[in-house]
Amino acid sequence: MRIHPYLKRRTAILIPGVLLAVSAGAFEDQVAPLGVYKPAEKSYWAFQPRRKVSPPAVAAANPVDAFILDGLKKAGLKPAPPADKLTLIRRATYDLHGLPPTPEEIDAFLRDTSPKAYDRLVDRLLASPRYGEQWGRHWLDVVRFAESDGYEYDTHRPDAYRFRDYVVRSFNEDKPYNQFVKEQLAGDEMDPDNETYLVASGFNRLGPLRKNAGNQNVASSRNEVLTEMTNVVGAAFLGVTVGCARCHDHKFDPFRQSDYYRLQGYFAQAQPNDLLRASKEEQAAWHAQVDPLNQQMRQLQRKMGTASETEKGKIQADLDAIDEKMPLPLTAIYAVKDNPKQATPLHTLFHGDYLDPREAVGARPLGILVPEDAPEEPVTIEKPRLKLAEWLVDPANPLPARVMVNRIWQYHFGRGIVSTANDFGRMGGKPSNPDLLDYLANQYIANGWQMKPLHRMIMLSNAYRQASQSPTEKLAIEKDPENDLLWKFGRRRLEAEEIRDSMLAISGRLNAKIGGPSVLVPIDHDLVKMLKRPQYWVSTRDKSEYDRRTMYLIYKRNLQLPFMGVFDAPDMQLSCPRREQSTHAPQALELLNGQLSNEQAAFFAQRLQESRPTDAARIDLAWRLATGRPPTLKEKQLAMTYLAEKPGDPVRLKELSLDLFNLNAFIYVN
Amino acid sequence: MNEHIRYNRNRREFLNNCFCGVGSLAFASMMAEEQARAAASLNPLAPKPPSIPDHAPAKSMIFLFMAGGPSHLETFDPKPLLNKLDGQKRPAEFGDVQYQNVNASSRILGTKRTFKKCGQSGLEISDLFPYQAEVADELCVIRSMHGDMVVHSAAQYQMMTGRIIPGFPAMGSWVVYGLGSEAANLPAYVVMPDSHGAQEAGVPMYTNGFLPSVYQPTMFRPGNKPVLNLDLPGGVTLDERRRTISLLKDLNKATMPGEDPEFASRMAAYDTAFKMQTEAPKVFDLNTESKETLDLYGIGDPKTDDYGRRCLMARRMVENGVRFVCVVSGGGGPEAEWDAHSDIEDNHLRMASWTDKPVAALIKDLKRRGLLGSTIVLWGGEFGRSPESEKGKGRDHHNTGFSMYVAGGGFKGGTVYGATDDIGLKAIEKPVHFRDLHTTLLYQMGLNQDALSYMHLGRRERLTEVRGEIIKDIVA
Repeated sequence: MRIHPYLKRRTAILIPGVLLAVSAGAFEDQVAPLGVYKPAEKSYWAFQPRRKVSPPAVAAANPVDAFILDGLKKAGLKPAPPADKLTLIRRATYDLHGLPPTPEEIDAFLRDTSPKAYDRLVDRLLASPRYGEQWGRHWLDVVRFAESDGYEYDTHRPDAYRFRDYVVRSFNEDKPYNQFVKEQLAGDEMDPDNETYLVASGFNRLGPLRKNAGNQNVASSRNEVLTEMTNVVGAAFLGVTVGCARCHDHKFDPFRQSDYYRLQGYFAQAQPNDLLRASKEEQAAWHAQVDPLNQQMRQLQRKMGTASETEKGKIQADLDAIDEKMPLPLTAIYAVKDNPKQATPLHTLFHGDYLDPREAVGARPLGILVPEDAPEEPVTIEKPRLKLAEWLVDPANPLPARVMVNRIWQYHFGRGIVSTANDFGRMGGKPSNPDLLDYLANQYIANGWQMKPLHRMIMLSNAYRQASQSPTEKLAIEKDPENDLLWKFGRRRLEAEEIRDSMLAISGRLNAKIGGPSVLVPIDHDLVKMLKRPQYWVSTRDKSEYDRRTMYLIYKRNLQLPFMGVFDAPDMQLSCPRREQSTHAPQALELLNGQLSNEQAAFFAQRLQESRPTDAARIDLAWRLATGRPPTLKEKQLAMTYLAEKPGDPVRLKELSLDLFNLNAFIYVN
Repeated sequence: MNEHIRYNRNRREFLNNCFCGVGSLAFASMMAEEQARAAASLNPLAPKPPSIPDHAPAKSMIFLFMAGGPSHLETFDPKPLLNKLDGQKRPAEFGDVQYQNVNASSRILGTKRTFKKCGQSGLEISDLFPYQAEVADELCVIRSMHGDMVVHSAAQYQMMTGRIIPGFPAMGSWVVYGLGSEAANLPAYVVMPDSHGAQEAGVPMYTNGFLPSVYQPTMFRPGNKPVLNLDLPGGVTLDERRRTISLLKDLNKATMPGEDPEFASRMAAYDTAFKMQTEAPKVFDLNTESKETLDLYGIGDPKTDDYGRRCLMARRMVENGVRFVCVVSGGGGPEAEWDAHSDIEDNHLRMASWTDKPVAALIKDLKRRGLLGSTIVLWGGEFGRSPESEKGKGRDHHNTGFSMYVAGGGFKGGTVYGATDDIGLKAIEKPVHFRDLHTTLLYQMGLNQDALSYMHLGRRERLTEVRGEIIKDIVA
């Protein structure tokens, strides 16, 4: 049996302030040595400088195709034939907007017979603000964006939407990624008066936050906050699992525990900073409500100090009752700021236990990526996070550009060149085409870290424009079962948000408003009851808001909308590099019997009824809206027969509409 | 499988997801047996063989989750010294532990409960649980449980998911991931929340974390219609809906690009969904039970009706092949949870009056139906309660030594394992961490803690973050 964890904690000091003082003083002379790395560790591919690569000498107009064709040729495989125009416009529109193309857009694309029609389509899609919504949403998965604390109280963060809007805007502006990284990690340090930067710095506070009743153990909480801040740097920017080194040296990759805490060193000074953005009147009204409550609480807390054991219970109950009455905080920007005086002294922590600090450390980037004798800096340096960010996006850093182009590739093709987008380490996938990865990363930097030129290059390639079925499927599956070489385009299921957004778009109900505070839709009372603080779920008053895009519905850590969960939306507790795609009966129940799909099917049916005079015309329109193409003869025949069985029955048209939301041709993108 | 995050992008990945919850199959052999397997794969929850050969006594598990932390000192761990030290400070020789509210000035609180040797085994159970005393010979009480956290949310996460932070899969999800389900027309993993309200760790402690959503729990709602979306929407008859689904299948077939396992599975999911819709309500209907059974569970008595119904439902679930059921007692706040901060007597007498009879009934009922041998019943909460008093009559959270019990599922009944010190402060004999309990529960279900893993963000994650040990002494 092991030693009990609490036995080694026998000497733990229960008063956090004292603990900090002890750890700051007692370990001063023990400083963790800088890491030493074996040649095998240093030579691992991901840590090598990016190579200057030229596309292989294969006849191809698009460099992406030169790499892909070369790979296929070497494996004795052929690409699939080009996809037709209907498939292409649906694929590209979902890819860049997360919505179906409208019949008008489809017609315009079909009419445009010039060889540049597809180029123009891609340009139009990239220029639309819908692009920033769809691709910003991918980033929000990676940084585990949510609008509540999680844990017991799951307190809402009513102003977190500002960060979401900042991300959407950044993608729409095609903000250079190096700037984007700096703003998020260190916006406050770059310019404390720039509101956009301050909102961006809220990145450092996106993780779950534990707050306790009773004694709030300050040292423990601080440790958890720093852990959240540090781990996301590894996952999101570096694409390595440096978080594993929190408790022990990384078992597979060259990250020592000291590397982890040195990385944490850049956050030692970071403290939350809520900047009020409420009007004078709002502030006055809020204070009129809150100040008396605070005063009562202070009085009770004073009483608590001298109260007898029996009185304490009563006082605690009174305190809880007051707490329940507290209104949501005033509207604010959730930023961070440095406070060198409060800088947390950092040590390697034995088994990651904050009560067991060992050697002291300062701030330093990952040892494997800097010269071995690169010194650490004190955690009290000026603008520490900006320093970290500048190191990250220095073109000489081999990882961040590779990691980001790999994400872009993954969202376009469904599978990254490295299949594990957050893990380029030894436990991750090997790059299926290392030359292509480096070529794209170099291009990315050469393009000033802008994404849109990269989207264009990828989407204009034949690899992207090929069909999702190959005439030589059997052979290809045998040689390359994962389709790493891209012998066809990978079919994908729509994501949870895309399914809901599409239903709203098809039914004609979508409220296309962009940005602003998140919406709380009315939901089943039993769901709300599963919250410790059900009072936080107050439905948005303006009902037209209920039909907004799903990314504008609140992401609450302790209450995931059932529709979202069942279609594999992440729970936003941890970074999500790639969504799962599972197939099971509760999805069928949700789409057949669920409130959302049935309501939208009724609106869809109404739209068909009102806009077309005959069943035949309604069926044509229904298919064009839901699947982006006219029905096949067989489909049309089946639908006509179905409607003719009960002529004029409104239930039939609604059920037909519901079937379209359940159709493979709707749920999947070819 | 070198994939970290599985994702059905193509045939091979899809087949992998269907077959290989644990370990992996060589692609070559898969191709050879493709036809046969493809048929089996239509149901992603098809039963899978256990990973430990020749040892899988338990097929299902029912966790009777006593939320808030029931006192070991008032239930299964008699401490005569406690009453002798009543009102005094804790003697220094017992050492120190970290508490939420209890501090250096707190005094030992004796118990008003009396303990009795019960059954043939003489297992000691307090008079708080007269009904559970009747099934003493079925219980294996672990008196040396300990966890790492002294606050509800983090302790509940650790008990359910092995981690003190949210975002990791719960026991139920892991077990279904490992074994699939025997219940074709019912959810594989069911949580029956307490109608009083939520627990501190909230729904994330029950969920699938990063595992695919097929391993989600189904959160039951109170009443006769516990599962969301099983009812037809208004204005649609069953016949009409049958026609809707047949049209859907015809439409999908009309454009099917040849043989396609993912599309086939999707269509099978609609068949399953339809069957669930018609078959599951029969399982949910308690009216088919005899009056004797209803009485056994205390159904009809306002005190025991709610928990009794849920325990009976749990039996019916397990009987029909459901893999994992969690029946929660406690929610909404200290008064309706086992979280006895202000008055241990008042709180525990109330909580016991709601649950004791139904819990005992479940064990008796499983036994007489021959289901206890293949069903693990786990009883307990995220921690126990402090030997010192809080607010005079209450007890604080206490994670360094407390009791849980297992019954059935191949565990040795009528036994006690491990011990706390003389005041119940620390587990001193054969301490059992949550990870050891998890390991042992998995073992009894034929699952090896290492084999039951899932690659996530570069780590081979498992329920037991740090390897736990099988408690061999309590396994029959």
